[in-house]
Amino acid sequence: MKESVIAILVLLPSVLLVGYFVYASIGWNVVVSLSNWEGLQPSYSIVGFRRYADLLYDSVFWISLKNNLLLILLFVPSSILLGLFLAILLDVKVRAEGVFRTVYLLPFALSFVIIASLWAWMYDPEVGVLNILLENVGLGFLKSGWVTDSSIAMYCVILALTWQFSGYTMLVFLAGLRSIPESQVMAAEVDGAYGFSLYRRIMIPQLKSSVLAVFVILMVFALKGFDFIYILTGGGPGYSTFVLPLEMFRETFSMTHFAYGAAIATVLFVIVMLIVVPYLYMSSRRREE
Amino acid sequence: MKFPRPRRILLYILLILFAFAFVLPFWTGFTTSLKTKRDVIYTTPVEPPPSLTLEPWIEAFNIMEKPLFNSLIFTSLATIFSCIIGSINGYVLSKIRFKGSDLVFLFFSIGIFIPYQTVLIPLVLTMSRLGLYNTIEGLILAHTAYGIPICTLLFRNSYKEIPDSLIMAAKTDGAGTWAIYRRILLPLSSAPFVVAGVFQFTSIWNDFLFGLVLARGSEALPASVALANLKGTTTAFWNVQMAGALWYALPVIIVYLILGKYLIKAYMAGAVKG
Repeated sequence: MKESVIAILVLLPSVLLVGYFVYASIGWNVVVSLSNWEGLQPSYSIVGFRRYADLLYDSVFWISLKNNLLLILLFVPSSILLGLFLAILLDVKVRAEGVFRTVYLLPFALSFVIIASLWAWMYDPEVGVLNILLENVGLGFLKSGWVTDSSIAMYCVILALTWQFSGYTMLVFLAGLRSIPESQVMAAEVDGAYGFSLYRRIMIPQLKSSVLAVFVILMVFALKGFDFIYILTGGGPGYSTFVLPLEMFRETFSMTHFAYGAAIATVLFVIVMLIVVPYLYMSSRRREE
Repeated sequence: MKFPRPRRILLYILLILFAFAFVLPFWTGFTTSLKTKRDVIYTTPVEPPPSLTLEPWIEAFNIMEKPLFNSLIFTSLATIFSCIIGSINGYVLSKIRFKGSDLVFLFFSIGIFIPYQTVLIPLVLTMSRLGLYNTIEGLILAHTAYGIPICTLLFRNSYKEIPDSLIMAAKTDGAGTWAIYRRILLPLSSAPFVVAGVFQFTSIWNDFLFGLVLARGSEALPASVALANLKGTTTAFWNVQMAGALWYALPVIIVYLILGKYLIKAYMAGAVKG
């Protein structure tokens, strides 16, 4: 048998599985979004883009979209900056580097369910960690409702997520810094670049491709992340921490508005692909060069 | 690069302060899990328990025992299946030249990034039609199918490092496609199997969304959903919740401490959970 025929036969089951569970399912979801399916009984009579038009008048949809944007504007850069800072701290041949790295990265290896549970305890207004600690060190005036205060709940979410993801960004940037040839660093040192200015002028500009990769991965997470917010705040108080994935879940599975939930999912999909496709295209072109 | 001495001290102070910030939630979760309800209320969250109790750990285990067992089963099996499939796909996509090979790879790659919300409704419908809703088998199928893209990527990247000359030499000796895989690639595959295996194990174990929609309140309930349910109740106080969280975290912490460097390899290759 020709090798290429074998190749296709071997790949066929996977292509069918992924084709069904990813591509056909996405198509199916679009069909649902164009139907009038409400309630537990499936219905596929097509009514067109009516559900998408409804979105425009749905205040929870706009709150969710705003919060996703807030995650992109605050969570993504703060994780990148904190990770970069930690990477630079660790890059200068410190003792016990492995221990620090292991500690910083641990939250990222764990489930969002665990991290959300731990932070629910941190933020608990009555007996939780932050308020009690603030009181004990004489900063009682900083006590807060944290995730129960709708005006700051979203920022509490962002803080905890930054805590979880900075270890990951640190890891990527540290590898990036380490891959810069020693000779270049030494040449810059001879030229008088020193300490943090060495990083600012010589090293950080060379991290462009890792920053881009991390940027895309974090942005995609900022859009599709569900577990953490669902468990920490459930979208509350009120709708203050709703994001699109949560809104999709609530409309679909709590309220059985299947067509409407599918429409939200499709919008989410389009936004994510607007980020991912150009990135995949660019990185495949770079590999060819 | 070297920093002068006074600055190096500042450096270590910063590193240690950050380490405290990263450890604090775990530490307070741990101490709280060993306290009685009374002590949780009347002691500071960071101090060790005045009177040690294992009661919260026992209570949490009684609630989480079956879900932890469920998670162990479907996580292990889906990890094994997706790694085997990924290995074979990776071989074909890296070592056999055929038309459309790049296209197939792109076809898989997109699957890594899709937001699962987009496939949630069809997934639930599919599983109910197959009679796999609320079953361990359903979770195995879902996690295997959605694990194929990332496993394929990890194995393909790893196999690309194996020189083609090895393959050519085997071919001139008359080895067929399967023999090359079994006799050349597979013996060199322990590293990628550990990398992909550790990544799949931790991310399937950590999954919440699929468990939530495919196994609500039933025989197949995963530990993640059981823990979330624990948090939702008013009866489970903080000490029990923290003990539950730590029970659920334990397997991943062990894997992380022993095989962390392989997990890091997967992260570096772009494998990130959603």
